[in-house]
Amino acid sequence: MFAEWLYFGLAALSVLGAIGLILFRHPMNGAMSFVVTLISLAGMYALLSAKLMFAVQLIVYAGAIMSLIVFIIMFLNIQESDLPEEKGRGLYLVGGVVVIAPIAMFLYKIVRTLPGGDTAIVGNGFGEVRNVGMILFKSWLLPFEIISVLLLVALIGAVVVAGKREVGK
Amino acid sequence: MIINYLTLSIILFCLGILGVISRRNVFTVFMSIELMLNAANLAFITFARLHVSMDGHVLAMLVIAVAAAEAALALAVVILLHKHKGVLDTNIFSLLKG
Repeated sequence: MFAEWLYFGLAALSVLGAIGLILFRHPMNGAMSFVVTLISLAGMYALLSAKLMFAVQLIVYAGAIMSLIVFIIMFLNIQESDLPEEKGRGLYLVGGVVVIAPIAMFLYKIVRTLPGGDTAIVGNGFGEVRNVGMILFKSWLLPFEIISVLLLVALIGAVVVAGKREVGK
Repeated sequence: MIINYLTLSIILFCLGILGVISRRNVFTVFMSIELMLNAANLAFITFARLHVSMDGHVLAMLVIAVAAAEAALALAVVILLHKHKGVLDTNIFSLLKG
């Protein structure tokens, strides 16, 4: 019963954070509101007994990736006058809701046909570092290596794209 | 219940699409894409719990790694465009259109 209440609290927080992200005008406010969404999603992972993913979401996503984004937003020193005008934002929003709502209803109908298992905490090492690591390095070894190559390419690409700087003159 | 988690995932994904199509700020568009990735992650982990198998966790971790790579590269491009054009409006960034 307690887990149900926890779920509804976290769900409300994450939806509020996402709505704040798409409604706030300044990207800094949007980023702060998105951090709320990420942290409540980490709580969701804990409720789904994904213990390693709970820690990874908090450390890597809410910690590293979001601090990189916030760092860049503050680095560019965005003033109120730098922001795009976005006059027709409400119109686009209403149009988007009209387009998205049927798709969401369709997806919800699909989800309703799934068997509804309960979400009690699973023990027995489910979702812990050792077991997830065994699966990652046994049956997912090739995707893991491809991801590491992708990270290397992104690293070199970022240095090549942003690192050039004219010296002197 | 499992269905509640999947419904939340659908809601977050739709909010991410709304953010991409209704906003013109580069950073907000970028974070909306991250929101969609997170919604997909929640669906992966929910299905992993439904089938009591850990492949979903591994897949979610790979998605987080892809999101990190995307953040590094996309923010570099944003810095470069801001240096050249001085604005953050996605409508201005239309170099490929000619």
